[in-house]
Amino acid sequence: MKTYKKTLSAALWLICVLIIWELAAYILANVLHDPLAAKKLPGLASIAVSFAQHCKTLCAQAGITVSYAAAGFIIGSLIGIILAVIMSISGLCEKMILPYLLAAQMIPVLGLAPIIFGLFKNIAVSRIVISAYITFFPVSVNLLSGLKSAEENLTAMMRAYAAGKRQLYIKLLFPHAVPYLFTGLKISAPTAVTAAILVDTLSAKDGIGYVIIYTLYGGGTTGQFWPAIIIAALLGLFSFFIISAIEYICVPWKRQSEEVSA
Amino acid sequence: MSEYAIELEQIKMVYQDAKKNERTVLDNIALCIRKGEFISLLGPSGCGKTTLLRIIADLQKPTAGRVRVAGLEAKQARLSHKYGMVFQTPALLEWRTVLENIQLPLEMQKVPKAERRRRALEQLEIVDLRGYENSYPRELSGGMQQRVGIARALVTEPEILLMDEPFSALDEFTKERLHGDLLRIWRNTGKTIVFVTHNISEAVFLSDRVCVLSANPARLDAVVDIQLPRPREDAVLKTEEYFKTVSYIRDIFEEKYYENI
Repeated sequence: MKTYKKTLSAALWLICVLIIWELAAYILANVLHDPLAAKKLPGLASIAVSFAQHCKTLCAQAGITVSYAAAGFIIGSLIGIILAVIMSISGLCEKMILPYLLAAQMIPVLGLAPIIFGLFKNIAVSRIVISAYITFFPVSVNLLSGLKSAEENLTAMMRAYAAGKRQLYIKLLFPHAVPYLFTGLKISAPTAVTAAILVDTLSAKDGIGYVIIYTLYGGGTTGQFWPAIIIAALLGLFSFFIISAIEYICVPWKRQSEEVSA
Repeated sequence: MSEYAIELEQIKMVYQDAKKNERTVLDNIALCIRKGEFISLLGPSGCGKTTLLRIIADLQKPTAGRVRVAGLEAKQARLSHKYGMVFQTPALLEWRTVLENIQLPLEMQKVPKAERRRRALEQLEIVDLRGYENSYPRELSGGMQQRVGIARALVTEPEILLMDEPFSALDEFTKERLHGDLLRIWRNTGKTIVFVTHNISEAVFLSDRVCVLSANPARLDAVVDIQLPRPREDAVLKTEEYFKTVSYIRDIFEEKYYENI
């Protein structure tokens, strides 16, 4: 019943958005007689046609962006995990590292991307670096709070059963922190994709971001712009759902409890 | 070897708060607990009875005093699994199934997998939870979760069982049932049980001796021998002697209460 209502509400929203879109496109073209209407806000039918036409090339471009984003995401996650573990083991390290992590997050990616590109002179590397940079912070901070939030009575229980520090981490703290880690990963995954798209637009010769910027200013293949935007948006969603699916597999104890309470 | 399972000598515990004020929680507690004895530490909340239990378990270090558990220093006793501990909350790992939770202490002892499983199943049988081995803790009721906690405490076959208000969160019916289970386990295994509670009737029904602790700072006011016959069944709860003992202990608390005013 709950999922049925959820699906229905999503479907209703989608229908509303499509109707408004179509209406707006119609008004722009036929009431306001905007000569650029087809470019500013094309009708759904024309988007669908060009989507079908360019689907293959767009998906290929999207694949390129996603693979860079994924590489950056994995590297960033690993760095985030390592930092979180170091900070949780040593209070001194936490005091040394955490404020700078926070400061690093204050630098806008829009400004950082050109700097990174200038530094590496390689667009592929820049895409990976920026995605990793975006990823590591939410992963690190969420995992750290997970590692530090195990209840006192559980740590006492582990000590009562003669667990050493290593066993404490392996048997209690890491498993306890896994859901927190996934929270971080779910925040990071879509932003890693967005970051890779952003770097695409800088001076890449491929990737979905390149298609977007090229069709926006290039004019020649206008028909690809909106489909590219849709695919870019779907990529973020897709990455979120992939991580959610992995979480579903990795965290069976939470899953069980939801089924019971539902 | 000493005839005592646990020896406490002049245990003192002083906390310092944020303003560097010292607060004495335990003041010169001396107590010897015999092997195979069922003893309760009884007192109002905040009287330091849990702190005392945690000192025995080497989860806290006393400011002063000497603790020996199973003839060893407290830390040695903890590291060599001389005691099993049951907590106020079941303290189960939610990502582990019931059987995996019970096996946890055996993993620390590096017991081989097959034997871990065999021994955990054995304990599962004792606490009457057969059929739940693959359930997650959240799928069980509070009473069942606490029984898993007891099975986990027993699985290493320790000489001593430390219990920190284990039934205080349970409803009366579940509690009475677990009292029966606990006495049966105690009778069959001959373990020394140290049971922390703030419930006078619970302490009287279960124990050989009840240590009455008063608060601020906790002192050992009296150690009351409980003369009720063994094995104790629920029928004991209706006897006059039971009522007398409960009232006797209640009087000790009231006296202390008025003294403090």
